[in-house]
This record gives sequence, structure tokens and C-alpha cells, in this order.
Amino acid sequence: MPGAGLVLAGVGYRYAGASAAALVSIDLRLEPGRVVGLAGANESGKSTLCLVVAGLAPGVIGGRLDGSVRVDGVETKAMRPHELAQRCGLLFQNAATQLSGTTSTVFEEIAFGPCNLGLPGAEVVSRVWWALRAAGIEPLAPRDPARLSGGQAQLVALASVLALRPGYLVLDEPTSELDPAGTRLVADALARIARETGAGILVVEHKTDVLAQIADEVVVLERGAVALSGPAAATLADPRLLALGVEPPAAVRLERAVRASGIEWSQALAEAIG
Amino acid sequence: MTAAGSAAAGSAAAGSAAAGSAVAAPSIELDAVSFAYPDGTRALSGVTLRIEPGESVAIVGQNGSGKSTLVRHLNGLLRPTTGRVLLDGRDVRLTHVARLAGLVGLAFQNPDRQLFAGRVSVEVAFGPRNLGLRGPALDERVRAALEEVGLTAEASTNPYDLGYSRRKLLALASVLAMRTPVLVLDEPTTGQDARGVALVRDVVSRAVGDGRTVIAISHDMRFVAESFRRVVVMREGRVVLDGSPEAVFGEAAWPELRAAYLEPPLPAVAGARLGLGTTPTEAELVAALRAR
Amino acid sequence: MIPADEEALLPAYVRRILAGGYRSLNPLTKATLAAVSAIVAFGVRGWTGPAVVLAVVLSSALVAGVLRRMAPFALATLPLVASILLVNTFLYPNAHDVIANLGPLSPTWTGATAALQATLRVVAFGLSAALFALTTPIDDLLGELERRGVGRRGSFIVGSALGAIPRTVERAREVVDAQRSRGMDTEGRLWRRFRGLVPLIGPVLFGALAEVEERTMALEARAFTAPGRRTILRALPDSGWQRAARWLLLVGSIAAVVVSLAGVVKLP
Repeated sequence: MPGAGLVLAGVGYRYAGASAAALVSIDLRLEPGRVVGLAGANESGKSTLCLVVAGLAPGVIGGRLDGSVRVDGVETKAMRPHELAQRCGLLFQNAATQLSGTTSTVFEEIAFGPCNLGLPGAEVVSRVWWALRAAGIEPLAPRDPARLSGGQAQLVALASVLALRPGYLVLDEPTSELDPAGTRLVADALARIARETGAGILVVEHKTDVLAQIADEVVVLERGAVALSGPAAATLADPRLLALGVEPPAAVRLERAVRASGIEWSQALAEAIG
Repeated sequence: MTAAGSAAAGSAAAGSAAAGSAVAAPSIELDAVSFAYPDGTRALSGVTLRIEPGESVAIVGQNGSGKSTLVRHLNGLLRPTTGRVLLDGRDVRLTHVARLAGLVGLAFQNPDRQLFAGRVSVEVAFGPRNLGLRGPALDERVRAALEEVGLTAEASTNPYDLGYSRRKLLALASVLAMRTPVLVLDEPTTGQDARGVALVRDVVSRAVGDGRTVIAISHDMRFVAESFRRVVVMREGRVVLDGSPEAVFGEAAWPELRAAYLEPPLPAVAGARLGLGTTPTEAELVAALRAR
Repeated sequence: MIPADEEALLPAYVRRILAGGYRSLNPLTKATLAAVSAIVAFGVRGWTGPAVVLAVVLSSALVAGVLRRMAPFALATLPLVASILLVNTFLYPNAHDVIANLGPLSPTWTGATAALQATLRVVAFGLSAALFALTTPIDDLLGELERRGVGRRGSFIVGSALGAIPRTVERAREVVDAQRSRGMDTEGRLWRRFRGLVPLIGPVLFGALAEVEERTMALEARAFTAPGRRTILRALPDSGWQRAARWLLLVGSIAAVVVSLAGVVKLP
């Protein structure tokens, strides 16, 4: 589809009242159906980039934006927050702060967004069921949102954002507070959503094993600028990763350790390490 | 033992901690400890565990398996519903939490639950100050703790001007400054980048080298396998596996691990696939390959 | 308001229509009853007002099946009731019909009567508030108010403030735990406890404030500020007679107060 994609061109951003720029000259492209992983040392600008991509910066929190952010050809600068929300959904690491805290069932929690848009009741209901299926949490529909495990709550937050049918999703460290099982749940859900709904996904992660599993491309930030970018497998194997503050995936580390000790590499080794 | 006796012993420990000398770490024993929250939720069921002075122990398990509940029994924040918690054979029930704080330092998972000071240095000084330190001795503790976590340059910064990961390191520093013989860390590497994780690993190895007991809750199996000599796996309030990383991540234990919703670290999996025995860390896998 | 055929699409656990003679009333009706009870219990002179309210409240509670659960609320009025009884019985001004002569602080019949009547008013009001609270889920009420024009912001603020209470209590508990773990003495003498306030209040406040920004962004991301009327999923039943009854009750109760104040009709 011509013009499709969430495109950042020469984007710089400075928080309101800040002396230094948080983002410098970023070029980024998020295609429908593709997963882009974002990594980097703490305070390298990853969270800021999420806010800019989703349009909340400068839209809601102010600050100065240079360059252009376009969603399917339309500048986000011109959009109101509720219009942005329907094009690009945003999720943070703490699921609890994203739940409205005013609903008694997961069903109504997910309906919160579509209801805010004033959609007809039948449309709201059908979107809720669609979002529940997309996130893989239909059995949770009658449950109390305040009584869910971390992983479940994060999936409910994900479904709540999906119910607005955005073409793109931005997630800022969605698994950082989750245990290994919860991490797997969320990672699998993201991969499936990209595949089945065609949403373009940008996900920030320290857990590079997750990125190795689900990302098509990986971008690494350093001090607000893009330091590395490219296909996931190659970028995650780049020797500069550690110096940039990013722990390589376990398989990459293991292969490196084996090769470094002078042991001959073989197909059997490659298969064992995976 | 009487309350007065244990209070005296507690303050003696705090006193020598104040002097900066390494107090011998106490042995820790949980004797058939069960715990249920007021609303009836059973969090621990008959946990019996003995940790010797100077051990490094990682506690792993799914969220809700009882890990946080267990460590809160170690510094007296929670009292067992049934069973006993003993430090050097003395029931913890007989001592105030404030006194136990001088023996067992607990770094919480969420730093924002404790940060209150306007400056990093004041925040770090809070703990040792409560233990009775003042003046140059206090300043030295603060300086040393900040250096350990790499926040020396931020001594006058407002904690909320630091990003989340550095606030976590700050919370860690504030517990390190108390120089407790037992150090308990709740998810110390969550949210940290590579440098932060390396810092935490150094903190752990230094503490173990000083003869302190270090106990950590973690989801990071690599951190667990490489930095701890003992792994305790919990599931539904019970201890289901307890042993060295070789024992716990060895193939024989995998069914039990998977039942606890955990996966062994990659070197262990690779080693098993290659028939090399149990190799939970990279170094062990490499060594086993060389030996072949 | 969603039409009846769309209503059928909502699962039962979302529709949550309460059963029972009293509970199935529209929340606004129940709220009106509580308001009217308060007006009559305090506004109408004499015994009749509070007695009628108490009778209506107790019988409604019986119908709704919450009679037993009202007990703690009744007990909660005890301190207030006790002080009313004492103050009025012993210190009623210009009362001379003494029950027993104890000098200047003698109990009087006039005082005792006034005390009992005041007690009746307090208990009637307390129990009517309890009845309302026990039979009306908050989101039912907020939904109905929003249907009738209260803006989404208003109902969200109330709803989320209530939800924030258990969260804040939980956070405060964790803060206390964290500071105690750093040696803060929470069991010591009072003046020492005062110094401990900053380390306790600080993190609770800062944490709440830090959360505000993220919550605001999360709300924007869920189109909270979209223009126009929000869709209300759950349409609770209302009827013509309930609407009429609400108006009648309100007008009637105010009239009763006016009439009794004007002294036109003398009721016991």
C-alpha cells in the first residue's frame, strides 16, 4: 500500500524546559505487519522515542519537535490525541497505571476506549470480542481487572488499546515487570497480533532474547540518536552491542564465548545453541 | 531468649555494623513456616530452609509463588502464621523490625516506594543514620555506597531527576550503606541495561567476598546461574527444588522446573543437547567442550 | 442508551441487573430515597418524621435482604448517639422537670425526650445512607448520572478516586515496610514517630504524583478526550412510575418540612 507506514524523518525532540535534546535526527520506519525492536542503554532516548512515535510528545506533554512524524502519510502534529489513539496505540511497562480503575470487568475495561469514542453499542461489543481474541484472553472477560496477575493485566492493557483498532502499536518495556511465563505470553501475543491483524509494532526491550524471537528489525539508540539498525538477527549479533549498553541474546553470547575459546565451530554446536 | 537479651544482641550487631567491621553473618533458619494473608490467601506452606552464614542464594519462581513473602519473613516485616524464623538460633519474633534492619538489609523491587529525600546523599544516609551513625563515619558510608553503584557524580541530585534504573541503583545503595551481614535483593536486575546488570553482579560478588550472606529474588536465570551457589525454586508457596545451579538446572530437574513455569538457562540446554552433562553457565559449557 | 436488541449482545456479567423488589430499582430512585430520608429525618419536627423514615428504611432493608448487614452501620452511629444522649439529658437549657436531683447537672425529662428524638433522627439518617450504600453499586449510579448528562470527566473522577483508595492504602503499606527495613522506628515514642512522617508521606505523595503523568497519557491513549457523548454500555431499567415517584418524593418531602416548620399541622 503506497504511503503506508509510520515514518519518522529527521526527528529531534527536546522536553519542555530541558537544555539538551532528548532525540537527535532520527529516521525510522514502521511497516504494517512488521515488528521493530528498540534497544539501548538506559536514558538513551527509547521512552522518549515511544512518546514521539505515538504522538503524545509534543501533543500531550509539550516540548519541541523537529522533523516530521507521519502515520500513513498524515502528519501527527495536526492530530488531536483521540485521533492519534486510533492510529497508534501506546503501552507502558506498568499495567496497573494503564487500567482505568473504574471498571469491574475486563470486558468493560476493554470497552472503555470505544465507548469514549461514542461508537454504537453493537460496534463496541464486537470490538471488545475482537480485541479479547487478538490478545488471546477471552477467558478473562468476566474477571476483575484489579485482581489479575502482572502478565494478564498487561494483556488486558494491550487488548484495551487494540480495541481502538490502531494500525500501529508502541510498547515501552512491556515485559520488564513480568515473570518468564508472563513474558512469553506477551511476546507470543505481540508476534501473533502483527501477523494476524497487520499492525506495525515498535517494542522497547532490554530482554534481547524476546527481540530475537519476535522482531524483524532492531534499532539501537545511543544518546538520542540511532547507533545501529538493521535486520534483527544481524543487528543483535553486532559486536558493538555491549559497548552500547545492550546485552546480546543468550545464543549470540554463547556462540561468541565458544568461538573465543578456540573451539571449532560445527553444525551440531549451532543446532544445540539455537 | 528474653526480649531484652535479644534487643541487646540486636543493638550489639548494629553497633559493630556502625564501627564498620564485618560482623559474622548469622545462620538463617525457616522451620516449617506457613503464612496466610489476612484475607486468607496462603502464601507459604510449610517452608523449611537453612541458610548458612556467607551463602549466596537465589530464589526463583513464578510471580505469586511466595518469593517476596518469604524474604519479608527474614527481616521481620511478616511473622509466620505457623512455624518459626530463626537467626543464629534466636526466634526473630522477639526482635523489633527496626533492630533486625541492622542485621538483614532488604532492597525492594520498586525504588519509588522508599525515595523521599531531596538529595541522593540524604536518601543513602537514612539507613545508616537509623543505625546510629553520625559525622565522618556516616559520610564515609554514603560515599562508599554511591561509589559501588556508580552514582558518585549524582550525590546532590534529586532522586526523581534520575531515570528509573538509576533510582533502583540508588535504592540498592541505600541498603548497601547499612553494611548488614545479610543482604536481600528483590529483583535487582529488572529494568537494568547491560551496565546496570554488571554493577549488580559486582555488588553481589563483592558482598559474598566480604563474607556476607546474599539472597536474591530474580527472574534472570543467567544472573542466577553465574552469581549464586545455591538456587531455591518455589511454586505455590512451597520449595520444590533446592541445590546448586548444576543440580537445579540439570536435565533431571527440568520437569520440576517447567512445572514451576521456569526454563533453564541456555548453556544448560545446549550442554544437555550435546550430551556434555550439566553446564548451567557459559564458562562451564566452554570448559566441557574443551574437555571433550 | 443502547437499543434492546443490542442489549442482548452484552454478557450477563456486564449487564449485572440486580434482582429483588428494592434492589432492582433504578439507582437514581434509590439515591432519591436516601436524599428524601435525610430531608425528612432532620427537617420534619417531632417524632413522626424520623419514625416514618426508620420504618420505611427498615422494611426496605428487609425486602432487599440487607437487614443484618446494616448492623455495623448502626453500631457506627453509637459514639455520636451516646454523646447526644448525655449532652441533652444532662445539659438541656431551661428544663426543670428533673428525673433525679444531682445538683446543677441533673438529668431532665425534657432533655431526655429531646435526646431520644435527636437519636432517632441520627439513626434514621445513618441507616438510610447504609441502605443506599449496600444496595447500589457505585458504577451503576455513575452510569445513570452520565446517561443523564453528567460529563465523563465528573464520573471518571469519582470512580477513579474510589478505586484509588485501596491502591493508596496498599502503597502506603509498602512504603512503611520499606522504611522499617531501613531501620525506621515505627514502634517507639511519639515524638520519634513524628520525625518519621516525611519518609512515610514523601514516597506515597511522590509516587502518586509520578503516576499522574503516566495515567494521563494512558487516558489520552484510550481516547478519553474525544468529543461528544460517551457510549454507556449498561442501560439500567427505569420506568415512568419511578420517574414520577422521584419527583413526588422530592417535592413531597420538602413540602412536609415546610408545613411542619410553619406549624400548620401538628404531628406527634
